[in-house]
Amino acid sequence: MTHAYVDLKAESLEQFVEQFPTRAYEHAYDQGWTDGLPIIPATPEAVQRFVAASGRAADEVIGVLPPRKGRATVEVIAANAVMAGCRPEYMPVIIAALEGLVDPRFLLEHMQVTTNPMTPFLLVNGPVRHKLEINFGTGCLGPGWRANATIGRAVRLILNNVGGALPGIYSKSSLSSPLRYSYICGENEEENPWAPFHVDRGFRREESTVTVFRAFNFCNISGSQGVGADEILRQIATQMLPMYALGDGALLLLGVNHAQALRAAGLTKRDIQQRLWKFARLPVSYFAKSFADEERAAGRGDAETVWRARSPDEFYIAVAGGPGPQDVYIAAGMPQTRAIPGI
Amino acid sequence: MVCTDTFTKFGRRIASTQGCPYVVIADTPNPIQDLGPDELRARAEAMIATVIDGLTLPPSEIERRFKDIVRRQIHPEGVVRSSVPV
Repeated sequence: MTHAYVDLKAESLEQFVEQFPTRAYEHAYDQGWTDGLPIIPATPEAVQRFVAASGRAADEVIGVLPPRKGRATVEVIAANAVMAGCRPEYMPVIIAALEGLVDPRFLLEHMQVTTNPMTPFLLVNGPVRHKLEINFGTGCLGPGWRANATIGRAVRLILNNVGGALPGIYSKSSLSSPLRYSYICGENEEENPWAPFHVDRGFRREESTVTVFRAFNFCNISGSQGVGADEILRQIATQMLPMYALGDGALLLLGVNHAQALRAAGLTKRDIQQRLWKFARLPVSYFAKSFADEERAAGRGDAETVWRARSPDEFYIAVAGGPGPQDVYIAAGMPQTRAIPGI
Repeated sequence: MVCTDTFTKFGRRIASTQGCPYVVIADTPNPIQDLGPDELRARAEAMIATVIDGLTLPPSEIERRFKDIVRRQIHPEGVVRSSVPV
């Protein structure tokens, strides 16, 4: 079925120019190239500019994407980045994210075809956040910032157009998720009282990186302040329900207020991981028996309780957002961190 | 391959990405999650002939029988998104 309602016979140059954006959008929609939102036409000139900004050859293959084994060349990545509304200088971030996604430990094929709505979440660290204006402060997971909106979108378009995860055809996600449009933020390193996330992952502070997680949800946690470290962490942990999740992990984006309160109380990130591991447990009676049995067999429970994670190591801690007693918990695991060269 | 009918075409589609477009699929109406042992046995018995075909027929015969079906199931022409099973 085509949706092009614009008369394709432009009678003048002015009419053609006026119609071009809408015609390009309609054509892309009919071809299945968009996420449903308007796109910027990927003209050869624009694609060339984006390839040049990547510093790589157009035909370099960054990865072969499942399920349809599409070759994600730099040129193809550029075309999708143009359509997503990116600036050329975003290309190295998108390429680094894809390098993480195609790591066999990430299990991308499962993400591409499952009935689950899982999707990549991108956490950006280092100087690139400032250079590209990737928001890491107030509103960093919401609308309003071009880099946040379009880098994640470019990754989604690439997964669909190159990997072939066409919704309802190769992707069987039953309800899918609004997080699949774009799910990305920077870390608020400037107000992080501990080492930044990428330093924990073995990179230097002055390096720029992107970490891709297999992410399942978004859960904002509102909590009061000044009630002590354990109370803050209990309030957070009670939102981290045990769940069936192949992601095997829990990413906590600590808000600035709670990060600084926990640091003032003398806690290290390791302390937070260990306390969350102990607090994020519920009685077996809370769950369906089959679920509790499965979780215990998977190492996430004992005779009395079901746990959110097997060990403290499965809690990933970063700091993001602006002032306020808010935190975000993302059921997310299998992180892959890649350096963003040249920035 | 054994699956419920919701996943028949999808199963063949994914099998084709692994180089096995002519996999024989024994399917049964979805869902099966809440069926008891007797109901499940009846479902299995209805599928067993297809399972035996898949294990015993020569590949050339399987290809002959399923050639047209395979073409339609792997990727419905012109469909780029769908909110119902295709």
